[in-house]
Amino acid sequence: MEDNNKNSRRKFLDKGLKLGLATAIGGMAISKISKLSAKSNTGTGEFVELMTTDGTLIQVDSSEIVEVVHTTDPDKKYNVREGKPNRKYVMVIDLAKCKNALKCQTACNKHHYITGEHAWLKVYQMQEDEDTAPYWMPTTCMHCDHPACVTVCPVDATFKRRDGLVLIDNERCIGCRFCMAACPYSTRVFNWSEPNQGDMTMDMEMDMKAEGSCHSSPEFAGLPSVIGTVDKCDFCPHSIDKGELPHCVTACPNGVFYFGDKYEDTVTNGDETVRLSKLLRDKSGYRLMEGLGTKPSVYYLPPVNRLVDFEEGLEYFTEFKSVENPEKS
Amino acid sequence: MKKTINYRFVFLIIISGFFLSINVQNLYAQETKKNTIRLKADYIKTMNKEIAFNLRASSKVDGSNIDVANIELTVFNEYNDDSVKLGSTITDSEGKSTFVVNDLNLIKPDSTGLYNILVSFKGNDAYKRASKSVTYKDATIEAKIITKDSVNYITATLKDTATDSVLSDQILNVQVQRLFRPLRIGPEFNSTDESGTIIVPIEEGIPGVDGMLTFEVVLKDNDDYGTVKAQVTAALGTPVVDESTFDERTMWSPRNKTPLFLLIVPNLITLGIWGIIIYLILNLVKIKKS
Amino acid sequence: MKNYDTLLNDLAPQKFGRKGVIWTTLLVVVSIAGIIAYIDQVIQGQVVTNMSDYALWGVYISNFVFFVATSFVSTITVAVLRLTKNAWRTPIVRIAEIISVAAIIMAGLTIMIDMGRPDRLLYLFIYGRMQSPIIWDVIIIPTFMAIALLLLYFPLLPDFALLKKHFKNTKPKLSKWYGILSLNWTGSDAQKSIHIKSIHLISLLIIPAGFMLQTVDAWLFSTLFRVGWDSTNMGAYFISGAAVAGIGALITVLYVIRRSYNLENYITDFHFDKLGKFLALTCLIYLYFNINEYLIPEFTSKKEEITHLNVLVTGEYAPLFWFVIVGGLVIPIIVLFFKKGRSPLAIFWVSILVVLGSWWKRYLIVTPTLLHPFLPIQGVPEAWRHYFPSLHEWLITAATLAMCLLIITILVRYLPVIPIQRTADEQEQLKTGKNLES
Repeated sequence: MEDNNKNSRRKFLDKGLKLGLATAIGGMAISKISKLSAKSNTGTGEFVELMTTDGTLIQVDSSEIVEVVHTTDPDKKYNVREGKPNRKYVMVIDLAKCKNALKCQTACNKHHYITGEHAWLKVYQMQEDEDTAPYWMPTTCMHCDHPACVTVCPVDATFKRRDGLVLIDNERCIGCRFCMAACPYSTRVFNWSEPNQGDMTMDMEMDMKAEGSCHSSPEFAGLPSVIGTVDKCDFCPHSIDKGELPHCVTACPNGVFYFGDKYEDTVTNGDETVRLSKLLRDKSGYRLMEGLGTKPSVYYLPPVNRLVDFEEGLEYFTEFKSVENPEKS
Repeated sequence: MKKTINYRFVFLIIISGFFLSINVQNLYAQETKKNTIRLKADYIKTMNKEIAFNLRASSKVDGSNIDVANIELTVFNEYNDDSVKLGSTITDSEGKSTFVVNDLNLIKPDSTGLYNILVSFKGNDAYKRASKSVTYKDATIEAKIITKDSVNYITATLKDTATDSVLSDQILNVQVQRLFRPLRIGPEFNSTDESGTIIVPIEEGIPGVDGMLTFEVVLKDNDDYGTVKAQVTAALGTPVVDESTFDERTMWSPRNKTPLFLLIVPNLITLGIWGIIIYLILNLVKIKKS
Repeated sequence: MKNYDTLLNDLAPQKFGRKGVIWTTLLVVVSIAGIIAYIDQVIQGQVVTNMSDYALWGVYISNFVFFVATSFVSTITVAVLRLTKNAWRTPIVRIAEIISVAAIIMAGLTIMIDMGRPDRLLYLFIYGRMQSPIIWDVIIIPTFMAIALLLLYFPLLPDFALLKKHFKNTKPKLSKWYGILSLNWTGSDAQKSIHIKSIHLISLLIIPAGFMLQTVDAWLFSTLFRVGWDSTNMGAYFISGAAVAGIGALITVLYVIRRSYNLENYITDFHFDKLGKFLALTCLIYLYFNINEYLIPEFTSKKEEITHLNVLVTGEYAPLFWFVIVGGLVIPIIVLFFKKGRSPLAIFWVSILVVLGSWWKRYLIVTPTLLHPFLPIQGVPEAWRHYFPSLHEWLITAATLAMCLLIITILVRYLPVIPIQRTADEQEQLKTGKNLES
């Protein structure tokens, strides 16, 4: 009896193992075959229109579009919400040189795909009183050290990093606009409607890949903008990571914007590189609305010994417009 | 008679004309007016580190300059009538690429001590082939830090490597490495003296992380020698003090660092009140049961 | 349980007559119109409003503040009058509690309309930062809601028991519901002792809760830099303003209910007289704060303050400002000064003025400040320098007000608007002179 049982058990095991093996091999074979057949499939017949890098439009079968997997950039060891330690970004804006050329605004609008009616970088026509001199004042986000906007955000959608930047996570923002109410510099912008960036998504993805990332993040403000959330100047961390200056700094033809690391005590406008402390001391730098205690990271150099008359900038002054909207022309 | 022959002749000519024009059109279709690429190559040598060629491809299309991205550029070392391929690289979205050679011995000079590099693009459907050659002699900068009378100086000597002779009356720039652009220290123009040396005092109070500063002595865009850079790192700076409030409990910190007062008092009040509310709801239950 | 036939006949909930049905239908229609407008807003985004990057808060927020203010009524009438031993409050407390509950529920709903991403509502709870005044608001509103509901419910227990008996034969299903809700109330000593202790506790609790609610609402504005909001006055200002709005709303609703249900024997001229005096007092206190807020800054004439004040006193918002101050405060004070002014009909019209004034006052608090920021408004379309609510905003706002009235209407339909048991106890106390705690 036992013998029989043993035998039948053995046979059972034997059969079972063989069956299992056959199934496993068969399964693997089937999956390999289906993969092969998928590859050899000459296409789904669905075509996607793409633009090549030299500007020609081509039709590509949608099955041939493969998601590119990027290895993580080894330099990006930091958490996007934290930033790198031992640095503090500052900007110095020389009001003596600003002629309202608005190249900074155009570059910022272009590189952040701003399609709304409100630019993030604005050049104000300022005049404190009738008797005092008028001047042009570019403003960006001040990336304050005591940021009123960050303090009031209920969901941690806007945050202050180690390196001084105040950024926005537009996947977290609930659109309450409390930060906009809190900002005394009126620098934040809201996406009241669907931002019409649709045509630019391809360009955006190319830009993001060039900067070393596959997906949107708070370091790529505006790529994309999300309806019902807040946007603002981000000091271009995506450029900083490549060792490049923010777009407004490079675009200005008059060398108005200086940018650098406060801890290195050095700022540059692309041409001149100077000690920050010396610049502020020699030219009497100040910050906007210092009395409010926001501790902004943007310093201004007073508009003295100006190279050009204020009136020359009036040619480009658009009181009711700050973004060129191609759709609207 | 002539007329009929003429008709046929004319007919033949017209037909062949058509065919020719079609063929010519075909030719045109294949060679849809390719644009020319202009290549720029800058040679930069960093002492004891690497040789880099900053390459840039641009093209004039419809009257404006555009960057040519995603094209393959091959770098050759030409010597003794030989063309040795050193490698290739692909331009990025701005048409730029940096080709780095880590081992300086990989590039061989010709008999006169000149290094000949050729950067070439073999052409594609949109662009014609192009190439650019870079020729340079090898120069060396030896830089070091010395202290005299408790003042720190950076001193550097410029030499022609092949002849091992010093180069005088050349302008060197002395600067500190910074985040975006280097910060110049010392006078704007430093001419090497008869022994090919310059000496520049290092000012006090330049900040650096942990006090470390990387000094650079640069021979910039020299016609013969290209750009040569020597780097010296020394702890001659004032240490950077990171004053970021990121790790502190502040009103603008994320929720894991809320100020203790706000963490404790509002929660106590809330729990207290809700405790009473729950007690009251339990009272309702008690009323129901009794 | 004693026989309270007269009381029950007078005070038990009755079916709506024609007026009631028309009223309810109207409210439902307005609510639906608003819901449709809101759905459109969710689809298209808040671009359907007239808000812009400068007028970034508009009528949604001022409407929200109004609801929060009105919900103060239970604190100021039920609790405060109770602790000051004003026995005449009995007929009005139920209505005050109902208004409070309706207002705070609508406050919670109205604020969600202003969110750009209502689909991310839960983030307020998952990612909330205690440093943000909005989170303080998110905490206090549900808390106050719970307390207001308890304040409404506890005194209802004996009344539900009475109504269960009353409707046993005529409306068995309704009677069953009243029975369930009465939680087996028998009036036993054990139940009564828990009941009395609980009500006392709730009344004590709702006072700090109400004050905190109004204060946190005020801090949504005074924690910001803006001119007109950055005022140390704000907390007390909002509390006194809430008292005005609450009592004004109470008197209005009281009058309508008295008329509709013929409750002249219960809500007497005496009650209106008392409430009128109370309203006059709160209006005086609020006027005092308004003088501090709008007149005194003229003394130092700081540039930013003057810009703000000029816009209100002589500028774009002047007609509204003077309507609110004169029509909403000064005239009521004057009228209520006279005994004739405190007669039910007169006081009803005065209260309507007060409520309208209160609603527009909050509009004046929110919008003008936003239209003169620190830096000049440049680089944006000319329309962004002004704000008036769009059709969508009006529809949605009207719907929220209609829903508030709808909640009040439904509660009035099914709850006894005057506490039956308590009235009975008081009548007995008057008769026998026994000292009954209540």
